[in-house]
Amino acid sequence: MEITFTLNGKKTICHIKVSTTLLELLRETLNLTGTKPGCHEGECGACTVLINGKSVNSCLYLALNTNGKEITTIEGLTKPNGGLDEVQESMIKNGAVQCGFCTSGMVLNIKALQLETMQNKKVPGSGIKNSPNRNEIKKWLEGNLCRCTGYVKIIDAAEEVFNKGK
Amino acid sequence: MEFEIESPKNITELCKTIKSYRSKSFRFGAGYTDLLMELKKHTPRNLTVINLAQLKDVSFSSIRSTTKNIQIGAMITASKLVTDTRIEQLFPVLQQAAHNLASTQIRQVATLGGNMCTASPSGDLICAAMALQASCEIMNDDKKIHNLSIQDFFIGVRKTALKKNEFLFAINIPRNKKRTATLHSGFIKIGTRKSMECSVVSLAFHLQIDKTGKIIDAGIAIGASAPTVKFAQSACQFLIGKKINSFSEKEKEEFANKVLSYASPISDIRATAWYRKEVLFNISKGVLE
Repeated sequence: MEITFTLNGKKTICHIKVSTTLLELLRETLNLTGTKPGCHEGECGACTVLINGKSVNSCLYLALNTNGKEITTIEGLTKPNGGLDEVQESMIKNGAVQCGFCTSGMVLNIKALQLETMQNKKVPGSGIKNSPNRNEIKKWLEGNLCRCTGYVKIIDAAEEVFNKGK
Repeated sequence: MEFEIESPKNITELCKTIKSYRSKSFRFGAGYTDLLMELKKHTPRNLTVINLAQLKDVSFSSIRSTTKNIQIGAMITASKLVTDTRIEQLFPVLQQAAHNLASTQIRQVATLGGNMCTASPSGDLICAAMALQASCEIMNDDKKIHNLSIQDFFIGVRKTALKKNEFLFAINIPRNKKRTATLHSGFIKIGTRKSMECSVVSLAFHLQIDKTGKIIDAGIAIGASAPTVKFAQSACQFLIGKKINSFSEKEKEEFANKVLSYASPISDIRATAWYRKEVLFNISKGVLE
């Protein structure tokens, strides 16, 4: 079947098998291998992408349900001038990347929290707030596993993104 | 993973689709967080998935206030339950259960209807909805709606009372008895780790307390303790009419034993039956402390 969606700002039309997951479509058909396949069961978060600005596991999402939606993968997070996003800059600055396998998922999920707090002035489950605290960041990232860093530097990186505006 | 798909765009199309699949095998797909995992392991031959994710009907995916109830459409996601201010103010137990479900990414897509119809004994949203004494609004393929109490909706492990030509349309949660009532409402989930955990046991409680400290209504439900989530009726009755701050140690234990009488847990990979009972007793007592 044919689906049409916006991928990293560009209108994209694909012909897919109905049972194709978004993860398979991105990596195998569209060659966007920045989205990582980890557990394939929604546990590790390596395959996280943004759908209409919300973080979602692409391994548990049917590609056909992206019809008409906006998808952002790690490849689409760079600024129009080619520069890195502030979440990526902060990850580098804080030494939050080791093997890198979880990184794209982590970055996109931190981005999703940033979008959520910017748009709604709310940290989900914690009421009205302009920025999340360290515990709220941890809670938000509970679906992203990292086997190298012990999370400390990743959370440092996220915290710095949110403290910047203060 | 090979299957066919039907993506109805509205309820009329959905009913038509269900009718045409009367004698064939199909599954409903809503948020897909459980279904795709299951189908990745094993997909039966000639399976069709009826895709609910593209339904445009607002009633299916909104939270509406009526004079008696708050009606929550089956396609409402867990993350919507977390951020909705009415849920936060009126039913903290449901907000907490939704907030502790799986992970951020799963909550964005996992639906109330999916959690209900999967009918897991440890279903977090089920447990909260049962403590809130919700009723289920069920629609059939002739668009006829009937209501079923949430306790009658679940008939066994992963089994609901839904017939093949029926689907869950919404749940109705009765409004709190008095606007001025204070709430003692929450969701306790015990697991072997904090995140992404399926509960060892869970307990949902929703107590309404008047100005004098008297409990005017109580809802207690337990998860992962029996083949279905259970409503602890006698424990609720025990609380109604008593003062929240006046429970003696003996009364707290009596209450916990009443909750425990609804539990018939099994030993499995997560915990032994004995451990589940011990934990359940202690967290039940904790509700009154």
